[in-house]
Amino acid sequence: MHSRLLLIAACFALAISTVSAAETAHIVWSGLVIAENVQQPTPIPEELTRMEQTLKELFGYNQFQVIGQSSKALKTGDEDWLASSKFFALHVDAQGESDAGYTVNLKLYKEQELLLETDAKLSKRSPLVIKGPQVGNGQLLLVLVVDAGNEQAQHHRRHASDQSNPVVTAWRHLRRVIHDVLP
Amino acid sequence: MKTFEEKWTAWLDGQLTGKELIDFEASLPDKAAAEAEKSEAHKLGSFLKEQLGAQALSNADFFSHQLRERIATETATQDQPAFAWLRRGEHGERSTRWTIRRLVWSGATSLAIFLICAFLVMREKNPGEQSEYLTQILNTRVDPAISPNATISIFETKQDKVTVLWTEGLQSLPSDYAAR
Repeated sequence: MHSRLLLIAACFALAISTVSAAETAHIVWSGLVIAENVQQPTPIPEELTRMEQTLKELFGYNQFQVIGQSSKALKTGDEDWLASSKFFALHVDAQGESDAGYTVNLKLYKEQELLLETDAKLSKRSPLVIKGPQVGNGQLLLVLVVDAGNEQAQHHRRHASDQSNPVVTAWRHLRRVIHDVLP
Repeated sequence: MKTFEEKWTAWLDGQLTGKELIDFEASLPDKAAAEAEKSEAHKLGSFLKEQLGAQALSNADFFSHQLRERIATETATQDQPAFAWLRRGEHGERSTRWTIRRLVWSGATSLAIFLICAFLVMREKNPGEQSEYLTQILNTRVDPAISPNATISIFETKQDKVTVLWTEGLQSLPSDYAAR
């Protein structure tokens, strides 16, 4: 009986670790975007498609072009990276992961000059858009998105792999049931 | 030569006959009392036979039932060994399988597994809920020497849950700065 209990416990732990492993490691996309009004706008970059309507309504521009970008996979939550264009640089310094997301320090440089600095808690489901300085007739925007672009692919990939894993599927069903039952 | 006790026992059992019976009854000091005692002994014997006979029959049935159950269980076990443990439980060959102690252990184990699941689900639920929170701006600094009139506001859009840090009055730059 004890050996059977141990076997059940081992299977359970394995399933939990599988589910947990599948839900870690996020990719943060950070971009320097120039918003402009032009007669024939180019399609919006893939990373910004999910908030295209919001960007257009908020800023009143019809074209959004990425002039500098970086994608960083966060494993420890303490990484730092740079997204830069010819004149601007956005330094992102992740300072730890919390339940709500990642704490990041952002610094916008114009060449060597620090224009703006901010600290934020970046949530996985909530992109961050910072209105930067006016550039010509356009506007510089700083955008940070967790799992941008990769989100759907990862979701489909994860969903497909989860569907083929009955343990993970059962675990998700159990979670859904308990979520429904518990207030 | 029989002793008096042997003759008395034989008389009670009705085994004395002929001259031996006549001589023994003649030797009894109170024949009426002896007859009464003989009658009581017969009654007691009948009662004991009745009781002991019924119990013997009950035990025979019990053992017969046990043997039949065991034969049936072993036959079933040989047919399907994969479910042997289940069949043993069903037929009760091993009454220890689902004793109170095992039932208690099973219940406690099930409860423990449920509590672990609930704990893990709730633990994952909290990050899930918090991840739905909007990105929070903790603080923002603009160099007053470069942009002395800069103002900052923060808001969120309901549609896409986008957090916006809206600055006004930052230093304007020529269009050359839009280069990649």
